[in-house]
Amino acid sequence: MVFLQPVVIALALFSFLSEALPALQPRDADFASLRGLTTVSRDRSGKKGDPVDKYFHESTFHPHYDGRFAQRVVSYDTRRTHLTHLMQTYLKTMHGIRAETWIMHGSLLGWWWNRKIMPWDSDVDVQISEQSMTFLADFYNMTVHHYDLPGVKGGRNYLLEVNPHYKNGSTDDRLNVIDARWIDTETGLFIDITTLRRNETAEALGLKGHMMCKDKHHYLHKDIFPLRDSVFESMPVKIPFAYSQLLEEEYGPRALTRTEFEHHHFDTKKMEWVLMDTNEKNLIIDERPFRGAKPHRLGPGGSGGGGTSINLRDPDTEVMHVPGSALEIS
Amino acid sequence: MSYRGIDVKAATATDRPLIDYINGDNLDVSDEEDGFYSKDDDDYVIHPKWKAMINRTSNRVPRRLQRYFVIYVGLLIFTYISWKTYLGPRWEANRQELRDMDDTPKTLYGTNMRPDFTDMIQLKTMDEKHLPKGTEGKRLIVVGDLHGCKEELEALLKKVDFNKENDHLIATGDMIAKGPDSPGVISLLMSLGASAVRGNHEDRTLLSIAEQSAHHAPLPGPEEPTDRASDFLDEESFSHGDYKVRALSKQFSKKQIHWLSQCPVILRVGPVTGVGNLIVVHAGLVPGIPLERQDPFQVMNMRTIDLKTRVPSEGREGTPWERFWNYQMKKLPVHERQTVIYGHDRKRGKRIEKYSKGLDTGCVGGGKLTAMIIEPGKEKLVSVKCKTYIQ
Repeated sequence: MVFLQPVVIALALFSFLSEALPALQPRDADFASLRGLTTVSRDRSGKKGDPVDKYFHESTFHPHYDGRFAQRVVSYDTRRTHLTHLMQTYLKTMHGIRAETWIMHGSLLGWWWNRKIMPWDSDVDVQISEQSMTFLADFYNMTVHHYDLPGVKGGRNYLLEVNPHYKNGSTDDRLNVIDARWIDTETGLFIDITTLRRNETAEALGLKGHMMCKDKHHYLHKDIFPLRDSVFESMPVKIPFAYSQLLEEEYGPRALTRTEFEHHHFDTKKMEWVLMDTNEKNLIIDERPFRGAKPHRLGPGGSGGGGTSINLRDPDTEVMHVPGSALEIS
Repeated sequence: MSYRGIDVKAATATDRPLIDYINGDNLDVSDEEDGFYSKDDDDYVIHPKWKAMINRTSNRVPRRLQRYFVIYVGLLIFTYISWKTYLGPRWEANRQELRDMDDTPKTLYGTNMRPDFTDMIQLKTMDEKHLPKGTEGKRLIVVGDLHGCKEELEALLKKVDFNKENDHLIATGDMIAKGPDSPGVISLLMSLGASAVRGNHEDRTLLSIAEQSAHHAPLPGPEEPTDRASDFLDEESFSHGDYKVRALSKQFSKKQIHWLSQCPVILRVGPVTGVGNLIVVHAGLVPGIPLERQDPFQVMNMRTIDLKTRVPSEGREGTPWERFWNYQMKKLPVHERQTVIYGHDRKRGKRIEKYSKGLDTGCVGGGKLTAMIIEPGKEKLVSVKCKTYIQ
């Protein structure tokens, strides 16, 4: 047994060394590590119930809140102003860093109607280019941005948090379809940021210009780029090139004509979505007090050209946002 | 050797032709007995009694009428089948389409705030001095999609005897891309003081130019070399395959880019007696929505309209937008009607209707370059043949 001695010594040495070194653990900004930034005293993030590999944890009371920063859903009016500020500060920050980002899904539909977030929308959807995402991860992850806002005493702090799984572009990584979040540390409301990547599966098949997000939405490069400059919530914003077609494809033509949605009516004089019955305010915010696996995207033609209401999409279906004639050359 | 009792050898030995050896006309020789050909008593399809009756009746009807009867029955069957399989559904579809065009949907397309973009001009009105009126001999020359075909444009201008003093040239968009000399076309248009509208290719190219100059790639990080951003951008654009647009955009001078960016999405030309109240766009318009509120993307890209919702789209399924446009114009009071001159759709090619004039005749693909000459009281089409630059 003498010949084994060096091995035994090596093993002993290794175990000793590994104890001395800090254990390698996946990065995790849990509740405890955010003390000082958050004002709440109890962690309501759904971390406990979530699978180990899931990075972002939605709150235990609503899938569109971050439980590390909030205790409960906010009222209809509070949510509207907070979401507006969330969007404005996000756009301003990204513009400042010069990250290439643009609005999509429900936010794009809101822009189309009156360049504002639709009042019944409880989340905001943005996409970001691959190299901008890398840049945020490299230099801006876990940064807190303070903004003085009109009418807000002491201003507000926003946290930019990048999901370390953003490097994994596979749609099989279903637990981490959101690449980053812009979080309102006061209310726990957030913006989901998803990266628009090259679709390597399509490229392997020899198809050019195909793009995708981890949430299984597929696009053609030429429908997104070059981006257009417009205004959203009074801030400069980027809009995908073929916005009309993308909206029509995702929500159906009715979404562009229907003026009644989710208890709201589009007032063409004010160019505003107006709540039809103010008693419904309470109804709207508590509509979905469940804890979902992830903020859900609208499925293909989901709610009959509906709005941005939550619509549990079969996670296995891939959504191709390519209008029928997109490949035609004109 | 003998055939039918003739010694062939002996016969051929003489000069007499063989035919002479044949006696009589009956060359039909059968090996069967006569009984073989005779009819059996019970060998019939129709009973002889019935046959006789039919013969008695049909003999009274002239042959010609009998023939006509068969022809008419045949036609009837043909008509029935074609109605059932083709004409009927089409007729019904057409009626449905008319009903849809008459119906006003409860919620109308275009109630939203118009998508507005920086660096894009929605609407311009042409300088009134170019309008042909009275007997001044002024003309408007509207030309379809040019796609960088400078030679053809020059040939066309020669053919219509273009005179800068009297004539005003208007291009319906897509002046650039695909063809051989996009900057050349633009400088020619500029030198002639022409008007033009923004087409989908100008739109993409101008946005691409803006994107390149804005450097959207993030600033270099604190410890990175400062030239990182630009490298990133080129690499990415190459991999995405839109470097074609980037290459094209690099051909233009600053002045040309400025001129292109000044082209509106919609050009209001104005009224010309006997021709109509003219508007020039690249692709099309949705009737019933004021020009200021038309969706610019659709104005540069639409081909069809979904009649149920009035939402236009680039695809080809649905009703051609100009069909709906013409239908709606005819329902308006005369002074409110507008005539749209457009390009964009080379597949459908030249389409001249009362209130819409489609001028894209596929110049760059080896088709023709078409111009419409507009004078008070008359419009005329002139075209020149083009070389095939792309397939």
